[in-house]
Amino acid sequence: MKIKWASSTGECWGKAGVSPPRLLQAGPGPAVLPPAAAARRACPLPPPQRGAPLSRLTLARLFSPRRQQYVGKLKFASLEASQGSKKLIVATEKNVVAALNSRSGEILWRHVDKGTPEGAIDAMMIHGQDAITVSNAGRILRSWETNIGGLNWEMSLDTGSFQVASLVGLQDVVKYVAVLKKAAISLHYLSNGHQKWVEHLPESESTQYQLLYSHGTGVIHVLGIVPQSHLNILTFSVEDGEITKQVIRVAAPWLKSLNGVCSVVGEAVLVCMDMGTHSLYVCSLETEQEMKQIPLQSLDLEFADGFQPRILATQPNVISPSRTQFFLQLSPSHFSLLQYKHGLLSHLRDFQQAALVSFATTGEKTVAAVLTCRSELKPGSSDDLHAGGTLEDSRKQESLTCSNQTYNINLYLVETGQRLLDTTITFTLEQSGAKPQQLYIQVFLKKDDSVGYRALVQTEDHMLIFLQQPGKVVWSREESLAEVVSLEMVDLPLTGAQAELEGEFGKKADGLLGMFLKRLSSQLILLQAWTAHLWKMFYDARKPRSQIKNEINIDNLARDEFNLQKMMVMVTASGKLFGIESSSGTILWKQYLRNVKPGSSFKLMVQRTTAHFPHPPQCTLLVKDRETKMSFLYVFNPIFGKRSQVAPPVLKRPILQTLLLPIMDQDYAKVLLLIDDEYKVTAFPATKNVLRQLEEIAHSIFFYLVDAEQGKLSGFRLKKDLTTEESWEVIIPTEVQRIVTVKGKRSSEHVHSQGRVMGDRSVLYKSLNPNLLAVVTESTDTHHERTFIGIYLIDGVTGRIIHSSVQKKAKGPVHMVHSENWVVYQYWNTKARRNEFTVLELYEGTEQYNATAFSSLDRPILPQVLQQSYIFPSAISAMEATITERGITSRHLLIGLPSGAILSLPKALLDPRRPEIPTEQSREENLIPYSPDVQIHAERFINYNQTISRMRGIYTAPSGLESTCLVVAYGLDIYQTRVYPSKQFDVLKDDYDYVLISSVLFGLVFATMITKRLAQVKLLNRAWR
Amino acid sequence: MAAAVRGRRFKWSLELAAAPGGRPRGAAEGRGPLGFAERQLGEGGVHESDKILMEKRCWDVALAPLKQIPMNLFIMYMAGNTISIFPAMMVCMMGWRPLQALMSLSATLKALESSSRRALQGLVFLVGNGLGLALALYKCQAMGLLPTRPSDWLAFVAPPQRMEFTGGGLIL
Repeated sequence: MKIKWASSTGECWGKAGVSPPRLLQAGPGPAVLPPAAAARRACPLPPPQRGAPLSRLTLARLFSPRRQQYVGKLKFASLEASQGSKKLIVATEKNVVAALNSRSGEILWRHVDKGTPEGAIDAMMIHGQDAITVSNAGRILRSWETNIGGLNWEMSLDTGSFQVASLVGLQDVVKYVAVLKKAAISLHYLSNGHQKWVEHLPESESTQYQLLYSHGTGVIHVLGIVPQSHLNILTFSVEDGEITKQVIRVAAPWLKSLNGVCSVVGEAVLVCMDMGTHSLYVCSLETEQEMKQIPLQSLDLEFADGFQPRILATQPNVISPSRTQFFLQLSPSHFSLLQYKHGLLSHLRDFQQAALVSFATTGEKTVAAVLTCRSELKPGSSDDLHAGGTLEDSRKQESLTCSNQTYNINLYLVETGQRLLDTTITFTLEQSGAKPQQLYIQVFLKKDDSVGYRALVQTEDHMLIFLQQPGKVVWSREESLAEVVSLEMVDLPLTGAQAELEGEFGKKADGLLGMFLKRLSSQLILLQAWTAHLWKMFYDARKPRSQIKNEINIDNLARDEFNLQKMMVMVTASGKLFGIESSSGTILWKQYLRNVKPGSSFKLMVQRTTAHFPHPPQCTLLVKDRETKMSFLYVFNPIFGKRSQVAPPVLKRPILQTLLLPIMDQDYAKVLLLIDDEYKVTAFPATKNVLRQLEEIAHSIFFYLVDAEQGKLSGFRLKKDLTTEESWEVIIPTEVQRIVTVKGKRSSEHVHSQGRVMGDRSVLYKSLNPNLLAVVTESTDTHHERTFIGIYLIDGVTGRIIHSSVQKKAKGPVHMVHSENWVVYQYWNTKARRNEFTVLELYEGTEQYNATAFSSLDRPILPQVLQQSYIFPSAISAMEATITERGITSRHLLIGLPSGAILSLPKALLDPRRPEIPTEQSREENLIPYSPDVQIHAERFINYNQTISRMRGIYTAPSGLESTCLVVAYGLDIYQTRVYPSKQFDVLKDDYDYVLISSVLFGLVFATMITKRLAQVKLLNRAWR
Repeated sequence: MAAAVRGRRFKWSLELAAAPGGRPRGAAEGRGPLGFAERQLGEGGVHESDKILMEKRCWDVALAPLKQIPMNLFIMYMAGNTISIFPAMMVCMMGWRPLQALMSLSATLKALESSSRRALQGLVFLVGNGLGLALALYKCQAMGLLPTRPSDWLAFVAPPQRMEFTGGGLIL
């Protein structure tokens, strides 16, 4: 079996945005503290060994790192029809088959297939307790047991482009599944997947077979089309696969494709829609040989210009005929319920302002659900959020928004088109303007035979909402978090009292008295806050511990003492932004950017942190559309998610790259430079102050741009008038190799030690070039004998190639970490057939060329490059290095393995100075003797059993404690934890005996006082004698 | 001395017991009683030997630090260069003692005042202590306790200031 088992037994982080996560309690005991309190104590991870004291374990479990699991955007979903059922079966665009608990939205089970198109799920059908999926472009047929998520069977099918699959019933029993491919149709048993028969389709070169239909009569109809010419209708016998009837050349010169335009209704009647003649074509598959034209005007219907009409029919059960009623979509918001019965087409009901329609069946009753906007649908509202003017215009055509974002769902009886009473669900989406995209209805009969239902709505921003009558949101899931593309961590703001104090110093002085009064007032506020805090403590102490909830919401957000909780700002591929509190995983805000098209590239930058109090923190997101190349800036407050008042510059040209400078304007916002495709630079913010500063330091600002398509690296120097001139260019010929990654250093990185102490106590100085780029190339020739990877270390200012090496017989994908004075990369060795690590370290030697300033323009001596390679027993899916505030703590590499584990590997193991033969000096230096293999020890997994599916990246951020580094791993799941690479050297141990130490201390103080007194008495007595 | 005093105090004396030889013991010669020594213990003689003794003592004091050195050397050799509690304590003592001696140099010099060659002795004392201190320092150095190498000051080296700013990357 190729699928990785990813059961969801682990605790889930809770539903996004609905409730705070449950605090896990491993047992009774006094260890249950509110998270904030524990964060202050900075509890360590549970030690991997067994037999740790209970209190420690409980504490650790409580604040154990959190994981949230996702499934991705839905492709297929099935809401089971019986009332008591508790699960939804979904198949998603992330190649996941999963069952969701319909009461809570939690994942009951989940199977994650390959992330490549090989794992793509093409079809899903539900039959009883089994879910049948077709994946890998029709190559694999699987059957799942939906209760526990087990695999019933798996069959691999013949090649051929997959068209459609359908369940086939024979005499009231559904026994088979039919799979239609481009050139063949095959029938499989549902019980074991074995193939019953396979038949080739005639004229498969010219004919596109696209539709499959059966209704329990022992035959399967297969419809093929020769575009703009005719239709072929084949009828196969279910028993032996013989073609019992072949109707070819049903003239349909107007028809280009069957998908969406045609549907089968009633007892095998094909209904097609023609846009050109504004009419419906009807043809019975079993009896007729020609298509009958019915003009729409006869029904008083018209459809919008330029809109491709769609027909939506339903077949509740494959052993009985389809319903004779069907929906005809005439415009994006106009649907009609039609009926074709006994050769007559009748119009049942019109739905204006409908956003989505769906059919649902329970027992004998089939209903149509229609989702409408409560107010009028308007074309793209003008009070739109974003500045990207041109983007907006292009999308105006298709975007119809509901002005107040309130929607109704109503049920209609299909036979008559009558509205069912008391079946309205009203719900309101967020104001950010995401439209509903999919509607799934679960209908059930209540005891009094009336119809009840629940609805699953998926919106444009990949949010799933499960609704209950009369509009209660049972749960919601933010599935866009399954594809995080960019992530930053921002410090939480200070508490009100702290902020008040800060503000006092921030304000301008206005006289002695004024200052004094201000001081008094702020002290008063502090006192107030303190008493409130005491009162709360007192109040909480009286309540049983289990009831104390430390609910985190946007109002009580405050930084903890050690800055361990932060705000994670996540940008997802769907264009939705999230603000997530890192310690609990609560989504505090979300914002959907409607203009973002799928496949856009994002760059998120923190322009102002929370450190400059009266000024709100500020993040800037650069979004660049892949097709139009146009970009826009979205500026927002990362703590509250609100759009900033600051107007970003309108970008007229496509932006190639950005540079965040350390210089600030008078409002403490860092200056962002954007370089466009004419190599002109736009500054944001562009105040006079900034421009003046820029003019001063323009000569020291450089850009580098890497064009992977042309294999060109080029450097630009900023001029005073904010234009640039090219200063260097490096061409890497694309015929031989292509650039795959370019990594600079993190600008926030702080290196504490400028060198390394040798065994003889001399210093080997590190070459810490902040402008250094590591460029990795892969050969275009992928033959295993000739393939190679190249690594270039290039100075970003001068373009000087500081080091280059070619690794023969090596292949990507290359994962690389570039930090301090080292580069670690990992690749596949095709000769030895294994994964290898190579580490490069750069040293200046025992003398520093210039200890006070680093200028790339003045570096006469090339650094010494040391290099060593190691064997790694696994492939890698992501890699990152830990980072701490001052850079004193030793570094670890965090390596995401395809198994979902994160390995924390000490950098000391990847050290090119590891000696092959240990000497006195190397021992003095604590160098580990070289051994080629780096082992994976399970105790180095920082996420224990909380595996992260399809990990794509790891983000690290420093905390206020030097020993502690915050880690977020993202992929299909999101996982947050803390790591302590050098143990917690700056935190008191968890089992630190406060009582003993303080009692000894007090005892000693008392003893001193008493003895002092005694000594005095004795002296006095002696004096009297 | 008692006899001498007596001899001086009494002007005359009566010999009651006749000598066995019947001859009196010759008062004229003024023979003293038993144990009486004619010769006076010369004041000058006592002074002479005191001086020598003093000198010797002073030399002892002055040479004491120098005499310690071979012993210290031996201890140093035995202690080795590893840093652990006992060698560290020894080195501390070795360093502390000469330091203490040097601090109480004036007292020592006062003690040497009586000596005629006190300048030389003082110098020797100083040199001896200096050597002891040097030895302790050498030991410290050998044990790596002295911050004499650049590596010892590495933690205080400030990162060089960045002169240029670069930014960019793969074209978005």
